[in-house]
Amino acid sequence: MKKQKNEHELYIQKSNFRKVKIVVIQILILICFLGLWELAAQLGWIDSFITSSPSRVIAMLGDLSKQNLWLHIGTTLYECVIGFVISTLLGCAIAVVLWWSDFLRRVLEPYIVVLNSLPKIALGPIIIIWVGAGAKAIVMMTVLICLIVTIISALGGLMEIDEGKILLMRSMGATKWQILTKLVLPGSLPTFLSVLKINVGLAWVGTIMGEYLVSGAGLGYLIIYGGQVFKLDLVMTSTVILCFLAAIMYFAVALAERLLKRK
Amino acid sequence: MEILKMDNVSLTYQTVEQETKAIENISLSIEDGEFIALVGPSGCGKTTILSIVSGLIKPSGGSVTLMGKPVEKPGCETGYMLQKDMLFEWRTIEKNVLLGPEIQRNLTEDVKKETEELLKKYGLWEFRKHYPGQLSGGMRQRAALIRTLALNPKLLLLDEPFSALDFQTRLSVCNDIHNIIKSEKKTALLVTHDISEAVSLADRIVVLSQRPSTVKKTFTVDISAPTPLKRRESSDFAKWFDLVWKEVSV
Repeated sequence: MKKQKNEHELYIQKSNFRKVKIVVIQILILICFLGLWELAAQLGWIDSFITSSPSRVIAMLGDLSKQNLWLHIGTTLYECVIGFVISTLLGCAIAVVLWWSDFLRRVLEPYIVVLNSLPKIALGPIIIIWVGAGAKAIVMMTVLICLIVTIISALGGLMEIDEGKILLMRSMGATKWQILTKLVLPGSLPTFLSVLKINVGLAWVGTIMGEYLVSGAGLGYLIIYGGQVFKLDLVMTSTVILCFLAAIMYFAVALAERLLKRK
Repeated sequence: MEILKMDNVSLTYQTVEQETKAIENISLSIEDGEFIALVGPSGCGKTTILSIVSGLIKPSGGSVTLMGKPVEKPGCETGYMLQKDMLFEWRTIEKNVLLGPEIQRNLTEDVKKETEELLKKYGLWEFRKHYPGQLSGGMRQRAALIRTLALNPKLLLLDEPFSALDFQTRLSVCNDIHNIIKSEKKTALLVTHDISEAVSLADRIVVLSQRPSTVKKTFTVDISAPTPLKRRESSDFAKWFDLVWKEVSV
């Protein structure tokens, strides 16, 4: 009995050690990368005017924070979150409508397929002309990029519900509305959560793409502006901030997922 | 008293390619408290018959009456139990069991009391707050039966309810379910392709022919044993199995 416990303890020890090892190496990779980058810039192996360097990024961050860094971050974040929320809600609502009406689904199928394969960036000029240059156009871009994918994956989840469960509900005399609210919607929660995760990534693509096209503020604006005036420090700094924001938003969704799944 | 009467019922499926006659001129009558098993070759339309009785599909011809009233749409007179337990993973056992009354908007205190009694009687009371994923296959099937009983149906329709279970579990669940059905004094119509299951459970076995299926022969099984397991042990079991098996395979 005692030996068994020891074995188990050893196993736990081993698995904990492995976890620690993974985190340490993850951090080490980052440090090595940054260190090498800085070193190469300092020693003149690379031209830090073109590649920037961690110290320059930090200096730029300091500069920016004295100016209007928060305005840029706020603008991008606002556009991204609004676009994300609109496309998720609208996409799921459309998916439910298509689930409800088999006929409508058949009718709209080719349109959805074509819209899905269309590169949405091609619609950029049209969007600017229609809704004007500004946050509205960028949100519109984000929605266009996320919407079709949301519809397709959400509909996929709704259609995947076990036919047997639907049969069971029908045999109890359930209405279609009851089948939707008591079975299909709660049953598609896992799909919905994976839709959220996909959308977080896509919403960033849409927002930055929108800002490339048309913007007066935002991280995408800083990147484009930095590129045009050859301030690579600005480009790199904005990219680093973007990495952080995207990671935070992803973890927020992952947290929401864990909370919902516990219920 | 006669619970179910099927009179010359037939059904033809329509698809673009062809018309398929699934069942033809089926006549069947079930008395109160009887346990009937429908057996037949696979694909002979056994499930179709259950769907018609439950009101999910309309027959192309003939009439189906339940307690003297024609069957028009699904309702709470019949309780359908499927191959898999079809419990909703996100609901507790208690909530799963009350699904039927909830759909019928009939979630009264009386109904809750009744299902509470059922859960207590059949050993699921301690598990009422558990989720289906935490229960064994046998317990899940019992929960599925209680869910069916919660609507207080006059006739239970069992569509191969044990076929998803492994053999060991199957025998004991079969025993459990039979025990519950008998002690609740329910009438049941079981569809199965497992002849030994039919012989161990049913008072009467109806053998169906190949598609389009008709009633080929009816056996009244008279093995005097109280439970399906005891029936399987009985010396008559092999004889009955043989009789039915020959009729199905010819």
